[in-house]
Amino acid sequence: MNYITGYYTTRFGELWDKSLFDLVEEAINGVLKQNKLQNKQIDAVFFGNMLAGVLENNLHSPSKIAEILKINIPIYRAEAACASGGAAFNLAKTYLDANPNKNVMVVGSEKMTDYSPEEAVTGLSAAASGEEQEAGLTFSGLYAMMANYYLEKYNYTEKNLAYVSVKNHYHGSLNEKAHFRKKILLEEVLKSPYIAYPLKVLDSSPISDGASAVIMTNNRDVIKKQKYSVLVLSSEIATDTISLKSRKHIDEIIATKIAADKAFKVAQINRKDINVAEVHDCFSIAEILAMEDLGFWEKGLGGKKITEDQTMFGSGGNLIVNTSGGLKASGHPVGATGIKQIGEIFLQLTGQAENRQVKSAKYGLAQNVGGSGGTAVVTILGI
Amino acid sequence: MISPIKIWRRQKEIRKVLGLKGKILTWTKIFTPGSDFKKYAPYPVVLVELESKEKVYGQLVDGDDIDLKIGAEVISVLRKVRAASDDGVIAYGIKFKPL
Repeated sequence: MNYITGYYTTRFGELWDKSLFDLVEEAINGVLKQNKLQNKQIDAVFFGNMLAGVLENNLHSPSKIAEILKINIPIYRAEAACASGGAAFNLAKTYLDANPNKNVMVVGSEKMTDYSPEEAVTGLSAAASGEEQEAGLTFSGLYAMMANYYLEKYNYTEKNLAYVSVKNHYHGSLNEKAHFRKKILLEEVLKSPYIAYPLKVLDSSPISDGASAVIMTNNRDVIKKQKYSVLVLSSEIATDTISLKSRKHIDEIIATKIAADKAFKVAQINRKDINVAEVHDCFSIAEILAMEDLGFWEKGLGGKKITEDQTMFGSGGNLIVNTSGGLKASGHPVGATGIKQIGEIFLQLTGQAENRQVKSAKYGLAQNVGGSGGTAVVTILGI
Repeated sequence: MISPIKIWRRQKEIRKVLGLKGKILTWTKIFTPGSDFKKYAPYPVVLVELESKEKVYGQLVDGDDIDLKIGAEVISVLRKVRAASDDGVIAYGIKFKPL
């Protein structure tokens, strides 16, 4: 049995006075302190990061982390575009399954705001196919193509998408670590400028800096000493074609469906048991598709369901989604996102989510997506 | 990074999908592009299903916003796809125009 016993995240945002490894160091020290663990009690580290090699000519990060920790243990970097954090967590869980009585740390981080938006967009495009890059498609462009197809197929409008952003900004206003802490109105979303039609600035997650870390362990002595612990019921990863055009359906992420079906099967719980979920809302359309692909909402009904606000904190709904603010308002430092999602579920299940605490949450799910759906990680936690 | 060799390798494949008709499956218009496409923005990109059922991405040229419709008929054409690299090699590729 693997348990998460601690979580620390830096603030997300434009953190110009901090480098990538300043952020990593803050997250590492923060989570160690919280669990009262010494560096030498960590048996392995898994690091999620996408862009340091592309933007900063900065690779071999495991060695850099060894320098921070002053230890000589195995350290691995996982890269799966925006699912780098989720992939690192999944690898860490696999490592624990194979090794009894170990403590591992999973850290995710990204430094994005040192660069112009065009440079960051170009870096992110590295996760798209060569043909997509050559056509001038960006990630906002690929999700815009999904959105355009979905809206036309099911007869929805841009207003249906806007509900996602309004909800997640409200949640972000309750999270002191979020990039954006400002509530927004539907009209503001609809009036914001386009980045890739039909998606607008306020349909999109921002370019952020940040780092998040969790401690995961299967060491009974360590678990017993911790104030908080949450059971990792399952963590499943699935892949698909890198190119959107090669998929069977443009408005569906099959990798999410496969990972979710496996994760629920392994966890031996049902969709209706989940009280809190963090889903990968890199763009508003992505949350609607995620809710459908995860099996929470029927295919094609997502555009209507989101307007009912049942997944908003305080609605009294059975499943509250993206209490952290999601990628939209909490921010999207790519490698950190997957860890922050799992961390937010940890906070909710241990009653530490403060003014956004969902009452008596017992089971939570995190869904982390890479690229336009080429990788998906679904993790289920429970108490 | 784009190198002349990469451009040469890719361009060998272009003729196979040149002058072919198809329909727009979905589309977008990019307002915030990456560095290499900044000077062309905003520009429309379409995903086309050719009559052969093969799917191809490309920018829509020689058309207006009114031509950007799911199901609209287009034909593939040869166009410059990005500014010349520092090596001076111009990259050509597939774009589409309305029929």
